Amino acid sequence: MSLFKAREWWSTKAGVDEEFDTGCLCVGDIDNRGTGDKIIIGSYHGYLRIYEPHPTKTEDGWTGFQAQDVLCEMQLPLPILQVEAGLFVSGSDSVHLAILHPRKLSVYSLLASSGAVSYGAHYQLKLVYEHNLQRTAFNFCYGPFGGVKGRDFLCVQSMDGTLTVFEQESFSFTRFLPGALLPGPVTYIARTDSFVTVSSSRQVECYKYQVLAVASETKTKEESQNIKTGKRVAVDWTFGLGEEAIQIMMTTFPQTPPSIYILGERNIFVLTEGGKLRMMQKFEFSPSCFLPYTSVSEGSINCLVATHSSSLMVYSDMTLKWAAQLSNIPIQLKVARINNLDGVIVTLDEHGQLSCCYLGTDPAMFTVPSSEVREIDYKKLDQEMKHLQEIIKKDANKYSVMPSLSKSDDDISIHVSVPFNLDEHSRAAEVEIEEEDPIPSITVKIQLKCKIHVNNVRVNINVELPLVASTNTIKFSSLEPGHPGEAMVVFYMKHTMLPTDLKGWATVVYENTTGAPRVLQADIRLPIRLVVKPCFPVKNANFRITIDTNKPPVNLNDLFPDLLGENAGGAGNALGFRYYGLAPVITVLASKTSQRYRLQSDEFEFMWLVLNELVTRLSSYFASHKQVDFKVSYTGDLPLQEYFVIIERHFECRLTDDNLYKLLADRAAQFRAIQRRLLTRFKDKTPAPLINLDTLIDGTYRQLIAMGDAVEQNTQVKHQMAVRLSAATRLLNLLIRLWQDMSEEEAAVLEATLTPDITESISKGWEETVDASITHLLRTSLSKSAKDQTVNPSPLTLLKDTSKLKKHITLLCDRLGRGAHLVPEGSAGEAARHGETARKAKSAIDSTHTDLGVPLGSKFGEKKNRHRHEGGDLGALRVPTDNKLPPLGGSTGDMEIRKHHTRKDIPDLDELGTDSQRHLVNGSELAGM
Amino acid sequence: MDPMFLACSFFRRKKYQECVDLCTQLLEKNPYDQASWTLKTKALTEQVYIDEVEVDEEGIAEILMDDNAIAQVARPGTSLKKPTTGQGAPSQAASWTLKTKALTEQVYIDEVEVDEEGIAEILMDDNAIAQVARPGTSLKKPTTGQGAPSQAVRPMSQSGRPLSGFVRPGTQSSRPGTMEQAIRTPRTAQTARPVTSASGRYVRLGTASMLSVADGPFINLARLNLPKYAAKPNLAKALFEYIFHHENDVRSALELAANATEACQFKDWWWKVQLGKCYYRLGMYRDAERQFKAALTQQDMVDTVLYLCKVYVRLDQPLTAIDLYKKGLEKFPSETTLLTGIARIYEGMNDMTNAVKYYKDVLHEANMNVEAIACIATNYFYTDQPEIALKFYRRLLQMGVCNAELFNNIALCCFYAQQYDMTLTCFERALSLADDDSIADVWYNVGHVALGIGDMNLAYQCFRLTLSTNNDHAEAYNNLGVLEMRKGHFEQARAFFQAAFSLAPHMFEPHYNFASMSESIGDLQSSYNAASRAQEGIP
Repeated sequence: MSLFKAREWWSTKAGVDEEFDTGCLCVGDIDNRGTGDKIIIGSYHGYLRIYEPHPTKTEDGWTGFQAQDVLCEMQLPLPILQVEAGLFVSGSDSVHLAILHPRKLSVYSLLASSGAVSYGAHYQLKLVYEHNLQRTAFNFCYGPFGGVKGRDFLCVQSMDGTLTVFEQESFSFTRFLPGALLPGPVTYIARTDSFVTVSSSRQVECYKYQVLAVASETKTKEESQNIKTGKRVAVDWTFGLGEEAIQIMMTTFPQTPPSIYILGERNIFVLTEGGKLRMMQKFEFSPSCFLPYTSVSEGSINCLVATHSSSLMVYSDMTLKWAAQLSNIPIQLKVARINNLDGVIVTLDEHGQLSCCYLGTDPAMFTVPSSEVREIDYKKLDQEMKHLQEIIKKDANKYSVMPSLSKSDDDISIHVSVPFNLDEHSRAAEVEIEEEDPIPSITVKIQLKCKIHVNNVRVNINVELPLVASTNTIKFSSLEPGHPGEAMVVFYMKHTMLPTDLKGWATVVYENTTGAPRVLQADIRLPIRLVVKPCFPVKNANFRITIDTNKPPVNLNDLFPDLLGENAGGAGNALGFRYYGLAPVITVLASKTSQRYRLQSDEFEFMWLVLNELVTRLSSYFASHKQVDFKVSYTGDLPLQEYFVIIERHFECRLTDDNLYKLLADRAAQFRAIQRRLLTRFKDKTPAPLINLDTLIDGTYRQLIAMGDAVEQNTQVKHQMAVRLSAATRLLNLLIRLWQDMSEEEAAVLEATLTPDITESISKGWEETVDASITHLLRTSLSKSAKDQTVNPSPLTLLKDTSKLKKHITLLCDRLGRGAHLVPEGSAGEAARHGETARKAKSAIDSTHTDLGVPLGSKFGEKKNRHRHEGGDLGALRVPTDNKLPPLGGSTGDMEIRKHHTRKDIPDLDELGTDSQRHLVNGSELAGM
Repeated sequence: MDPMFLACSFFRRKKYQECVDLCTQLLEKNPYDQASWTLKTKALTEQVYIDEVEVDEEGIAEILMDDNAIAQVARPGTSLKKPTTGQGAPSQAASWTLKTKALTEQVYIDEVEVDEEGIAEILMDDNAIAQVARPGTSLKKPTTGQGAPSQAVRPMSQSGRPLSGFVRPGTQSSRPGTMEQAIRTPRTAQTARPVTSASGRYVRLGTASMLSVADGPFINLARLNLPKYAAKPNLAKALFEYIFHHENDVRSALELAANATEACQFKDWWWKVQLGKCYYRLGMYRDAERQFKAALTQQDMVDTVLYLCKVYVRLDQPLTAIDLYKKGLEKFPSETTLLTGIARIYEGMNDMTNAVKYYKDVLHEANMNVEAIACIATNYFYTDQPEIALKFYRRLLQMGVCNAELFNNIALCCFYAQQYDMTLTCFERALSLADDDSIADVWYNVGHVALGIGDMNLAYQCFRLTLSTNNDHAEAYNNLGVLEMRKGHFEQARAFFQAAFSLAPHMFEPHYNFASMSESIGDLQSSYNAASRAQEGIP
């Protein structure tokens, strides 16, 4: 990330597949000719190379590397770890070369002999002396140890952290550095005559040479280089760095205070000789190597830092002055004076790329790789554009951002076949019902047929409790057109609970070829035999429901051939049913002469499934006998009181629930408060007495648990009540439908208003939802006058009591009884209003987009008119009613009056109504009547 | 070549994997040596006490760091090993240290930069002193800025912070008010996916565990005797970094640091900083603050200042943090990280004048600081000086930054500076460089330009393309809504606006548009509600 680039003056690649690291590069006037610095590099593969670049400027840049730039190239038998140039030979003031091998330190001199050829001198390396090392060396430093003049001593650091000092040709001493584990960079400070290193405890440590040397004199000569233990060497000073160091350099430039430069892994530190922090700088990059050098401005030191993001930074003190890009990541940097050219930056990377650079100002403009240049044929382009636009235009209408809900082109069809017979041997498992007989089960076959190949098809089976399915999810990894997917699912009753719905759903989820998820659903209608078993009819019951038909009565034996049980031989006008696991018996009575049927049971809501079944079977019975104008009706009072009792019971549960939750919240708050107090007490440095808080928290905890149990228990009761309420609601809905002879559409609205779906959430419950929707209906489609029609919905909150709800339900029935219609009729304008009402009430049903261009109402108006017409036709079939809602709990005497015109057809009706308790002992007795 | 030396060299050259491999080899080889050596010498000696029986039972780290194992060679004259293998044990310990370091380096993330706040942290934050902050003293409450363009000009992030010119951890995260909102709304503009409570820091956990070798973790933390290692300064630091960075086991790290700082008689500032880091991770900010302060009195370090300021920012005391940064600057006058820190806080407080001033100071010290250049450019762009912004962005380009975001910004600058010829070429480049995350934004901007030149069709298509790559792009939904509204498709427009403000409740535009549309079709109640919501969006 820099604007400029380091300009290359000269470069070469040394060796192939050779490795280099810090220490492998050194510059110095090694041949002592005074012609400037030579570059010396040694590789881990043992090659030593000495270069003296002299590139010349030509028209197209610098000539670069030439063969005569190599002064000397030589292979040594050992890897070269470090090369340094210095005054290593006693009695000579010329520069010699010290080479560190893993177990050997050698000093060479470079001899030049003028050659015969024009290229100049011939060079030769000559070994002056060498020291064998007892330990594997890591690195070495040199300097005038002990303040000698004109001589450089060598100090080798080994892998285990010993310093071995050689006074040129002679061995001096070896010292262990205390606490050494991994060796770090080491350097010698001439001014204080001490060594500085960064140990693996991440601190800069400074050891006086004197201290090291004196300690060694206590040793006998022979074991000195062979030592195994370290005598405690006193540290002069330490400085906690907090990170490992990469390099250490000492600067003693004129006009500047001498400082120790330490390149850490993430920072650069500048310390004084005494070990105090002078400056530091945090890097936002990771540095690879650095080199401080003299600055032109007084009092500041410049510093070159090379980074692993291959750039070269120039800092003046701690301010960034220059940044240049490099072509590689250097492992070592040097500034040299080559061929009288001052300040050449010499870099070496780990693969041996050696470069001499300068900081040129001509910016290395970063050129973005251009995206493909092509000749633009405008005519063709226009054509293509036009073509594409057309496609877009065509498809713009087809694909909306919102997915359309049209049921077109399903790739899969689903077929559910419910067998007539239950399983011979029940396959019900883990049943929780206590019953003598085995709980029956039924095996349903679900078949998937597809038109094309589809992958990953998932079928979910849902059924309402207490029924369960043997499996809830079926997966088909792939479906072929020729091979339909099949699965057998077993349904059975599992829990002791009132069943409310015998319907199940099979939902198929898959992705079509365009990747859009598709969903398909199919109903599974389960037979009532799954939940009900026959038993003897019971004479007395608390609740009774009577329904009328317009056809002669049918023998119950014909209607329920599969559910006769012990009654099989009976006359067929009384049957008893019982749900598995539940005691109340539902008795169905059919009058032999009149066209009436009666259900009775000790529990009101238990009659729902049987009544529904009865109505369905009657309809299908007459349909199969080609009698199309069959009609079922209900003429009695709506059993609202019974219904209200159930609502009341459910509501009570909810109130209890609410109270329990409030208490639970209280206790939880209390618990947290005590916890907080305890925590502050425990956190306190000085322990304070707990003042019985622990007892309190214990007690609260027990209360919490007890509350939780109570809530759980109540939830179960509530669930039971919800199921009963659901059944009762369905029953009431069915009765209202029969009573008013509602159309399907109206029945749907009624179902949506007086919903049998009992949602059990904390925030909203059934009572308020139903209350709100009934209020809405009363204000809109069932309103008496225009002034009632203010729609002002209030937020759904838990009702105080159910009296209002009861009043509203009564009112709803009252209005319906007076002939009001849920799905409105009349003029178009009015229809619009009602239409909207209906639409809101059953928004789930009406989900397709309506065209905004057409006034909303008109469509509904049309539909309504048509319906009116049909209603007119059907009118003849209706059992006439006087449209007056009977007073609640009214005696059947009223009914007698109202039904005067039908009385002659059904002479025994009233008898049945009033005297049944007297006469009806069992089915056979009734038959004899 | 000595393998240990080579391992060191690899470490220095940042070839960590090679280093780890080499160290693993060393560690594998040496137990064998010990075993054979034990067999040969068992009869001879009991004077050198080595409990070799435990070799199989203890983890390898336990054995290597055992005092006894080191003693076996450290006693002169009693060693039975050959000199060549004499360094076995220490080099094992050393290679262990090196391996620890190498593994740590691979996953090292500077703690100063790690600053994603999880939802849990935000919601459970009980450190905030006052709920109602004074103006200008808190980062939590959006403030009207000084010298900053209004929100209508410069878009805000979810938390009411202005969009920064530079993506760094925390710039785009928000402080949602409720858990519900937090779960619902995307964490960053880039990923735009609902977040779980996992935050940036745990990403590291994943990477670290991936690195671990097949035959179990390198060090079994549960079995380490932390006080023992704490007493060894040369091992403890590497071990701490390993636990903290590689294992991400803050509790163990804290225990080690606590033991270690005790072992060195509370004299090493480094351990105090590490303790502070641990406390910070554990959410105990006041304890962290105490540790950092103690460390600072002992030794001034840039990192310590940065950590302490981070604590203050987390405690929502930006002014204290700025004071501290300034004190730090007195000691380290040209430290760019400190300057950047101040600038970031000012930017977060919506005080653009000061933010830009400090960013300029940063550039004075380090004129290639990408963050500073980008932030200054962004500020110029939003204060209606696209030409100057363009200069800064061009500098970034010259410096070698080459990504979709930069070209996108240049294109926008060109567009507003009326250099239309460059606009499209830059967008072209941006599109060719963009990855999945950024391409949505580029298309959005192309659409924006199309709106500017009145090509509604192109704009519509661009916004649709935006949504096809990133279907949570609230701005695109909003603009599509406007386009639909212009076409008179009110139902669709309404759906778009609703989508927009459910995705980004902090944006005021969809609310406002929804209000104006509702008003025009006569739904005054909805209009009023939406307008009120819009007003909430602008402080």
